[in-house]
Amino acid sequence: MTHQALADALELLRDKGLQQGLGPMPPALPSGQPGLDEALRTGGWPRGSLALLDGSGATTLALGSLAACQQRGGLVAWIDGDASFDPATAARLGVRLEWLLVVRPHDAAEAVELAAWLARAGTIDAFVLDLGRFEAGRGLDRLPALLARAGGVGLLLARDRDAAGRAASVRVALERRAWLAVGRDLVGQRVAATVVRHRWALAGGRAELDLWFAEGRRIDPLLPALAAPLRELVEERPALRVLSA
Amino acid sequence: MTRLLCLVWPDLRIPGVDPPPFEPMLDALDDLSPRIEAVDLGVALLDVTGLGPLFGSEPRIAARAAALAREVAPLPLRAGIGENRWLSALAARLARPSTSGAPVAFHALERSALAGLPLTLLPADLATRQRFVLFGLTSMGELAGLPRSAVGAQFGAVGERLQQLARGQDPRPLNPRRRPERLTARAAFEPPLEGIGAAALTLRRLCAELCDQLHARHLAPGRASVALRLEDAPQLAVEQTFPEPALEPDWIARLLLSRMEAAARLRTMEEEPRVVGIGLAFDRLADPASRQLPAFEAQAGRWEELRWSLERMRSRFGEGRLWRAVHARPTAALPEHRSQLVDIGP
Repeated sequence: MTHQALADALELLRDKGLQQGLGPMPPALPSGQPGLDEALRTGGWPRGSLALLDGSGATTLALGSLAACQQRGGLVAWIDGDASFDPATAARLGVRLEWLLVVRPHDAAEAVELAAWLARAGTIDAFVLDLGRFEAGRGLDRLPALLARAGGVGLLLARDRDAAGRAASVRVALERRAWLAVGRDLVGQRVAATVVRHRWALAGGRAELDLWFAEGRRIDPLLPALAAPLRELVEERPALRVLSA
Repeated sequence: MTRLLCLVWPDLRIPGVDPPPFEPMLDALDDLSPRIEAVDLGVALLDVTGLGPLFGSEPRIAARAAALAREVAPLPLRAGIGENRWLSALAARLARPSTSGAPVAFHALERSALAGLPLTLLPADLATRQRFVLFGLTSMGELAGLPRSAVGAQFGAVGERLQQLARGQDPRPLNPRRRPERLTARAAFEPPLEGIGAAALTLRRLCAELCDQLHARHLAPGRASVALRLEDAPQLAVEQTFPEPALEPDWIARLLLSRMEAAARLRTMEEEPRVVGIGLAFDRLADPASRQLPAFEAQAGRWEELRWSLERMRSRFGEGRLWRAVHARPTAALPEHRSQLVDIGP
């Protein structure tokens, strides 16, 4: 079987699986990236799921997802395990700070426990559990069940990918393909997103996402038109050297 | 004729008295007269008009008031009676402890007695007093005897007002206080319940009962307090102030239960306490109409719901966990200065 035939067969299998084998699709919250929503095949993050974002641009994608959720009237929270959450960056990426709860736990176990409280409360539509330097603590496994009961969405950012990956019902791998620049200024990055795991749909969907650093909301609408991908920078020079050149 | 009794507790007038038992004293005085005004901390005004047939002469009425207040706190008290606010307040000021062993320093003052009193007793500022001296006025009788137009010409509106007082006239009415309402409900357990969690259903029922009563009157509690009577341990009591007046029995019960469990953990009881009774009280009753405002923004109403969960999270995890980002200086040059995190207080 040729490579193309194999890909076509896989695509057919995905569609059949969605229609027959995997039951009704849960309602979803948009990720803020239409390409990713399509790759997920559920129209966004399925409600009741814990999704692991893994790779370059995960924080930007998570903030964009919270902003998209807020645009639909949702309440969101950021569990800041690393104490590195920057409200200014969140605001520039479209998050409305007045409807954002920031939670700062003292350790990994407390981070997971606080996430469980938020999931159980049912008033938070989406939260980001940024474990940062913490190892994925105990209790992470029961988060999906709590989320499924209350219908919220949890986005997980963790360095301990093995433990976090086991608990997540959706896993998206992000890989930087190019920097996006206007002139000599880097304004974003182009990443390839691959749905590695999906509880409600077949995995394997791919999308190419442009994640903007959003240096000021005023120029945001112009960025896609002005920016050009700089592949050679990725291959030849690290970004910081480009900025200082 | 109106008779007002002015009560002054000098010890409560001293700043820093902790805790001032003033409100409970006023509550105790309700047995004497329903018309009570809290003029200031440590100063109360009672309408005792027509109480003579019930309690006897005016010194007896004052003695009865003193006895009621002493049941709450045995503090020194001065009492004065007059036909209006000014006369009764001045009478209380002039009251001196009796040498005959009367229980309260009492003085009754009539208009006719004002004429011989010095002008220094009037609530005038220093400049006005000096002008009185310049004009050779030393007693209230002298000021009261002058034509009103002349006093107005020399001392202005302030002088006219002081002349009214010197004549014993004070048109200010008594503004009786509205006694703070407190709704209570109780339940007893026979046999005792094992553990605090077992009282949850009863607590929920009591909350629902009180909320139903208040709902009919379009009121909501701003604070709830619950006390658990334990079999072999001191009473466990917690108090919770709500983010806003709320008629949510389920949320109130869950919040109170969470607070009680936290309080029990602090006591480090070795075994589950046995609960023999529970008492619930709602106070700070207010109009719940403000809850309609969140309808204008999608997230606002749900944020109010979330705040209840946040209260429980705070009692479980402690301070410093829950934050909210605010736009501190929206026009600051550096983006990182435009917003900051603030702790979500109670």
